[in-house]
Amino acid sequence: MRRLFIFTMFVFWSTISLAQELFVMTEPASNMPANSLGIRAMNSFMYEKNGSLNYHIMPELMWGISHNWMVHIQSFHSNRVGGGMKTEGASLYAKYRFYSIDDFHSHFRLATYGRYSLNNADIHQDELETMGHNTGMELGIVGTQLLHKIALSSSLAFEQVQNNGDYEFPSSQGNKAINYTFSFGRLIHPKTYTSLKQTNVNIMCELLGQSIVSHNKNNLDIVPSIQFIMNSQARIDIAYRKQLYSNMTRTAPNGFMIKFEYIFFNI
Amino acid sequence: MKYLICTLLTLTAFITNAQIKKAEIIATGLTCSMCSNAINKQLKSISTVDSIQIDLNNNKFTVYLKEDNDLNPYSLKSKVEKAGFFVGDMTIYFDYTDKIMKNYISLDGTPFKSSASKAKVLDKGYTTAKAFKKIVKKYQLSSLSTDNEEDFHLLIL
Repeated sequence: MRRLFIFTMFVFWSTISLAQELFVMTEPASNMPANSLGIRAMNSFMYEKNGSLNYHIMPELMWGISHNWMVHIQSFHSNRVGGGMKTEGASLYAKYRFYSIDDFHSHFRLATYGRYSLNNADIHQDELETMGHNTGMELGIVGTQLLHKIALSSSLAFEQVQNNGDYEFPSSQGNKAINYTFSFGRLIHPKTYTSLKQTNVNIMCELLGQSIVSHNKNNLDIVPSIQFIMNSQARIDIAYRKQLYSNMTRTAPNGFMIKFEYIFFNI
Repeated sequence: MKYLICTLLTLTAFITNAQIKKAEIIATGLTCSMCSNAINKQLKSISTVDSIQIDLNNNKFTVYLKEDNDLNPYSLKSKVEKAGFFVGDMTIYFDYTDKIMKNYISLDGTPFKSSASKAKVLDKGYTTAKAFKKIVKKYQLSSLSTDNEEDFHLLIL
């Protein structure tokens, strides 16, 4: 715990002078360009409490409708229950950027977003997660500040879940949560841009928290990551998610993630 | 009285038309090359754009236009905005011509030259919000404050 705290502080301090806001775990207030299409695949390798490793893949299609509106559709697949990969659900996400103040090398933006997900997996934990675990919705607001090469972003959201298909949501658990995040990133390479083909490297650190207020259940995770942007069009993110604190049941809070993304401009 | 002065200033401002040869655009709100590429791809989608040079460190896009184009600064600005960013500075290089219908207004009344004119576009959305406030205060031109996207106020350089 102490080591983690020191690591966190080190990452925080080392980023004071200089990143990008294309975070691994959260969406920034900025949108993708109008008329562009993105494909993305989030691969998670999470350690179960029994020591086994489960694999989740969440393919995603993203569309920039205008510079203020974007939508994502996503599906969730995993081998968590054994017997090979199973499709567990899908979701629809939309984000609307409603405020933007831009200056040379900086901006502050605000956006509101919503997600509705369907899931047919068994309900096996207190933690509520419409990204791959629960049927339900999430509504939130996100603010992102870009300052030269540092990006800071924070979000606050309300999440409410329902029954997962045939699996009833346990009445003993809270089905409403407040989710909050804080993310930052820093560009570490290149120091000076020479071409659009140059690979960019960003380091990032994100804090993800959830509070199920009615049942006084809370958790907080930290996700350090490294990101490679190639040809100004493709992205590979490598991240590790680590639980910092939790008093709620979670079956696999820790693990590695690899995320791929490719953007098609002017479709 | 204030309105009268504004109207007179507007009337005395030199109104003309122009063909843009080249535009230098500095975009705001970005620092990453993926963002620059988004702007680059949007600008490239304009059929009358010949080529684009990018200064990635300063987010500056030098857009070379084909001969006989009828492009105006708004077409360029809207592409930058479609990419999700804004124009912080736009300088255009143009020849005076009567062929093009869009109106260009010389902010300080300096007449346009028949060829090789260079000017900054100083309308709303072509500079930062902060800089635009100063321009409105300095030139006291009522037409500046409107959201009219068809007339362009230029400061000849």
